[in-house]
This record gives sequence, C-alpha cells and structure tokens, in this order.
Amino acid sequence: MLAISAFLALAASAATAAEPLRVGMELSYPPFEMTDPQGRPTGVSVRLAEALAKHLGRPLVIENIAFDGLIPALKTGRIDCIISSLTATPERSKSIAFSEPYLRTGLALLVGARSPVQSAADLDVKGRVIAVKKGTTGHRYATTALKQARTLVLDKENTAVLEVVQGKADAFIYDSLSVYQNQKRHADTTRAILEPFREETWAIGLRQGDEPLRGQVNEFLKAFRAAGGFERLGDEFLPEEKRAFRERGIPFYF
Amino acid sequence: MKLEIAELTQRFGATTVLDRLSLSTGDIQALVLVGPSGGGKSTLLRILAGLDVPVAGSVAFDGAALPRDEEALRRYRRTVGTVFQAYNLFPHLSALDNLLLPLVHVHGLSRQAALDRVREPLERFQLMPHASKRPAELSGGQKQRIAILRALVVQPQRIFLDEPTSALDPEMTAEVLEMIGELKALGTQLVLVTHEMGFARRVADEVAFIGEGRVLAHGAAGFMFDHCPEPRVRGFFDRIVA
Amino acid sequence: MSRRLAHILVAAAFAALVAVAFSRVNYAWNWSAVWEYRDKFIQGWLTTVALSLAALVASTAIGAVASVCLQSRNVLVEAVGRVYVELIRGTPLLVQLLIGFYVIANAVGLENRFVVGVLVLSLFSGAYMAEIFRGGLAAIPQTQRDSARAIGLTPWQSLRLVILPQAVRLVLPAVAGQLVSLVKDSSLLSVIAISEFTLNAQEVNAVTYSTLESFLPLAAGYLVLTLPLSALSRWLEGRFRYEA
Repeated sequence: MLAISAFLALAASAATAAEPLRVGMELSYPPFEMTDPQGRPTGVSVRLAEALAKHLGRPLVIENIAFDGLIPALKTGRIDCIISSLTATPERSKSIAFSEPYLRTGLALLVGARSPVQSAADLDVKGRVIAVKKGTTGHRYATTALKQARTLVLDKENTAVLEVVQGKADAFIYDSLSVYQNQKRHADTTRAILEPFREETWAIGLRQGDEPLRGQVNEFLKAFRAAGGFERLGDEFLPEEKRAFRERGIPFYF
Repeated sequence: MKLEIAELTQRFGATTVLDRLSLSTGDIQALVLVGPSGGGKSTLLRILAGLDVPVAGSVAFDGAALPRDEEALRRYRRTVGTVFQAYNLFPHLSALDNLLLPLVHVHGLSRQAALDRVREPLERFQLMPHASKRPAELSGGQKQRIAILRALVVQPQRIFLDEPTSALDPEMTAEVLEMIGELKALGTQLVLVTHEMGFARRVADEVAFIGEGRVLAHGAAGFMFDHCPEPRVRGFFDRIVA
Repeated sequence: MSRRLAHILVAAAFAALVAVAFSRVNYAWNWSAVWEYRDKFIQGWLTTVALSLAALVASTAIGAVASVCLQSRNVLVEAVGRVYVELIRGTPLLVQLLIGFYVIANAVGLENRFVVGVLVLSLFSGAYMAEIFRGGLAAIPQTQRDSARAIGLTPWQSLRLVILPQAVRLVLPAVAGQLVSLVKDSSLLSVIAISEFTLNAQEVNAVTYSTLESFLPLAAGYLVLTLPLSALSRWLEGRFRYEA
C-alpha cells in the first residue's frame, strides 16, 4: 500500500487506469529486499521494481511472500513477476520463465568457527551437518550433491545462521553476499568461505507463456543497465560489499 | 443418646454463626432442630456429624466427646451416617454401587458380604427395582431414600439428616418422611433438621429451636409445639403451621 | 435421514466444493512427481505420530501436576502453577520453540532437537490441559466432597473414587480437542528443523517444484490422525454419560 502511494507521488504522469504490476518478494533479505524503520519496503529489488513499473507505466504493488511461496504465487496468478534475488536454474525453468539475468553471484559457505570444513567437498562426508533455507538453491544443492551429510531445513535465514553459530551445523549454504554479512555479524563464531563453489545468476521470474511481459522486462533491463541504473543501486546499497568483494577477487557484479 | 453441647462457637470469616450455643438433652432417640433460615441449624448439624470443627466449645454424645483433629474425626464419621438436602449420591455410580462403596472401601467388607447386607434393606423399603439405575434416572424422592439407605447400611450409631425433604415436591416428601418414620420405629437414633413441622411433632422426642446462633428454646416435643412461652418460637410456629 | 448418512453427504458436498476450487486454479498439476517421493511423506507422517504420542502423554502428566499446583493452598506452589500457565498460554508456540531450542536448550547443552521439540510442545499443551483439569475439578459441587467425607473416605480415596471419575467425564471433550490441536501444532516443530510431516511435504514441493500437490496428502495425513481421536472421544463420552 505504501509502495503504491510513494510511487504515485513520484510519477504523476502514470496512467491511473493501467493495471497494477504485482511484484512478489520476501522482505527479509537485506539489502535487496527489506523494510525501512518505518516498515516500508526498500532495497535493491524494490528500487528495481519501482523502475520497472515506471517503465511500464503501471502502478506498483509489492507483495511480501515467503520465499518458497513465491513460485506458487506466480503460478496461480497472485503476482505478475518475482523480483526477489531469485536464482535462474534449469529445474525452476520447468515451472516458470526467467528474464535475462541481472546479477551474477554464487553459493558460498558460512562455516562454524570450530568446524574443520574448508570447502563444499568437505561437506559430503558422513557426520557433517548442513543448514539450508527451505526452497533455495542451497537447499537443492545440499539434497542432490551432498547426500552423505545430514541436512537441516530451516524456514528462515536467521535460524539457519544460528545453527552454525551455535555449532549445531557445520555450514550454512547461501549466497556469497549474505554469507559475508552474516560472518561480519558473528565474527567470533563463524568463518566465511566466500569463493563461490557454484556460480549463479539472478533473474526476474515470470509465468511461462507470458511472452509480452517477458519482452517488456528484458527491454527494461537493457535500458536500465545502459543508463547506469545498476551502478547507482550498487553504490546506494552495497558500497562496502562491492569494495570488499572486489579486493578478494570474488565475482559480484550486475 | 444423651447429647451435651457446651459454649459451642463457630465463625466463618468475620461472621459468627454459632454464639456460645449450649444444649443438654435427656437420653432420647430422636432430636429435631427447627428454626429460621440462617439461624445456625445446618452449621450445628455439620459439627455434630463431625464434618466441621468449631472454633470453641465442646460436644459429647453419651459422654464421649467429639475429637478436634481430622484423623480422629474421620474415624468418628465412619460410625455415623449423614444425609444432605441434595446431591448425596455419586452420579457416576449406580444406586447399588453407591450403597456398596462405603461398605467395601471404608468398612472393609468383601463385595459379596456387602451385597448380602444391602439386600434386605433394599427390599424392605421397596428400592430393589431401582438398584441398578444411576442417580440421573431416579426421582428426587428415590435418590434421597437411597441416600438414607446408604447411611443406614453401615450400621451407624446415629443418623444426621439436614433438611432431607426441602428440595422435594409434596408427594416425594411424603415417601421420604415415611421412611424416616420407619427408621424411628426400628430404633435408629436420629438428629434431624427440618421445616416439616407436622412430621417433626410426630417423630421428635425433644425439639430444640435454634435462632441467632443460640438455642432459644428446648424441650419435649409436645411442650415445644403447644405450650412454649418463648415469643419468637410461638411466632415462628404460628407463621409456619398456619 | 440417519445421522451417519447426513455426515457423509455434507462431507462429500464439501469435498466437491474443494475439488471445484482446485480445478479452477490456473496451474499445471504434476502428481507423479509427488508419488515418487511417497517415502518422504511416510517418514514425515511417522515422525509426526511419534512426536504427537510423546507429547500427548507428557502434556497430560504435566497438566495434571500443574492443575494440582493451581489448587494448592501453599502460596509458593500455587505461584509456580499460575506463572507457568500464564507465561505459556500468553506467548506463541513459535516463540517458545525458538527460545526453548536456541537459547535455553543451548545453554544447558541439550542438543537433541526431537527431545527439545517434544518438551516444548508438551509444556505448551500442558498449560492448556492444566486449565482444563482445574475447570473440571472446580465444576464438581462441594456437596460431592462433603458426601465423600461424610461416609468416612480419606482424601485420597475421595479423589480416586468420587472426584476423579466425575472430573474425567467433565473434561473429556475439552481434552480431546486439546489433543487434536496438539497433533496439528506439532507441524510448528519444523522451525527447529525437525523433519515432521508438514516440513517433509514442503520439501517435496520444493524439490519437485510442485508447490500445491503435496497439500492434499498432507491434509489427508493429518485427518487420519485427528478423526480417530475425535471419534474415540465421542465414544468415550457416550460410555461415560450419566443417563443410560
């Protein structure tokens, strides 16, 4: 609701008769999807959504949905697209369509300070415990490629991190940016292995067969990048991380 | 029984319900307590039956004083029977099981011995057809009569009855009063609280009028009903019996 | 129309409504993928059964003890009971699970999540049981206790022979309802990564990208547990009724 009023105030020329663009995301993934202290959605994905809606000339509605509920919501028509740091994978492509990728990143490990694990391969050993967040590519990787280990499926990022911090799990498989941020937060109890053992790209999720919207979204992404939109987003939300990753030579770029 | 009550006092919170009540009866079979509501009759009866302990004073039946500690009182309660105005019986048991429970669990009879003992009273008072029913299936009168039987079959020294017919309609009242009359004829000692003045007159040996927490008048039944000089007693009877 | 026939007809009508809703959803169904993972469903269901049974027993015991504390005349004992009941009933189970496992159990070194999960669930349900039992005991008229004393029963005999049999009949419907809630509440144990029925169903959804297909077997699986509980409770109530 607040997203709508904010947007309408900015773009008074928008056609008020146009159908709203309903974008789904889980607002618990800073700095991409989060809420400001006043409770309004904000973050990289929110800005991207706002710019997309403006480009399409449609009012924006942001639906805050749990991550593993985003694809169902898209498929049943409750939302029109997913902009939630969603990794494009071949398996997901069986269910939904993707735009051109807009960000390159990878899966990394948040490791417990007292765990001997040094790489993803070290995890595929009997007795190892891996924490994952339900429905993420980390979850999929653990269940398909790391079958020797015991996988704990948590529904929230912060409880998965807690499992590692408290030594109940050897590692949490998640994207490199979040691993970096969580490791900073829990400097004494965790280590980060940031070199991605698996590269991924993020894209905007769309319904299969919704070609018109897909075309429009790809057009938008091209224009946005050309106008330096992504650079600005990186500077606004991720200045420190950009620098830190660049220093270590870890891929993190739009 | 010869009953001696001396300076009996009972309080509930700040209210004094029995105020240094004293009573001394002859060696009688049936004592009836009458008087206005709230005067202390039921409170007195509960103390005589060993259910409550007074804050002061003493009670003695035939020279044996009532104890004050719960253990001893429980042993005393096993030697007497008590019937309340309502809800005497245990609703989850049949009438028969209600009768057997004290015999088996309190007085140590085997189930067979207990069955033998209750058979005759059940037949004498025509309650045998109702024995296997639960209290919910019995009329008010039948329930009270079973309750009286339950008090009777433990072969008590005496039976206390607290307004046993006050919750019943006239027809059921009559059948219960008839049973109590038979108990008197059998020689059972009785202490009865009641509003049924006609019955009280027939069955009592002595009557005590309890009001304001004290004995306002006491004497033989005939004297109390016909010649009592105490104005409060006269007034009470006139209002009721009229 | 007999009562049973009416039950079946209404249930069928409801199922038909649900089927219509399902058919109108704009969605590509993929049932075979879900059938492939039936083992995971069964494992999860068995875990839920184990959790529920354990918590069932424990919460009844905890509830009984707590309700005795609530009735106690000892100030300290009553306080323990009252604080326990108010605290547990006043906070969400989710919060109790997270704090119970990640804070309290972690502090005392209790690692086994199944044990912690059952414990938290039992304490949660026990608080509601305590109030149910307390209400049941209070509903028994004082004259029953008087009659029991008048016959000369000891307090223990009176409890065993007179009070408890009546209290059990009084609280049976509420206890059965609480037990059904327990089975459903056990699904929340997934937040501390206990692999119970609901989490397993959600995992199947995630792995097969199915999203909705798992929910039908999920609902059916819970009904298999809760319907017999309700039926048992109704049968027991019938047996214990005071009228013939």
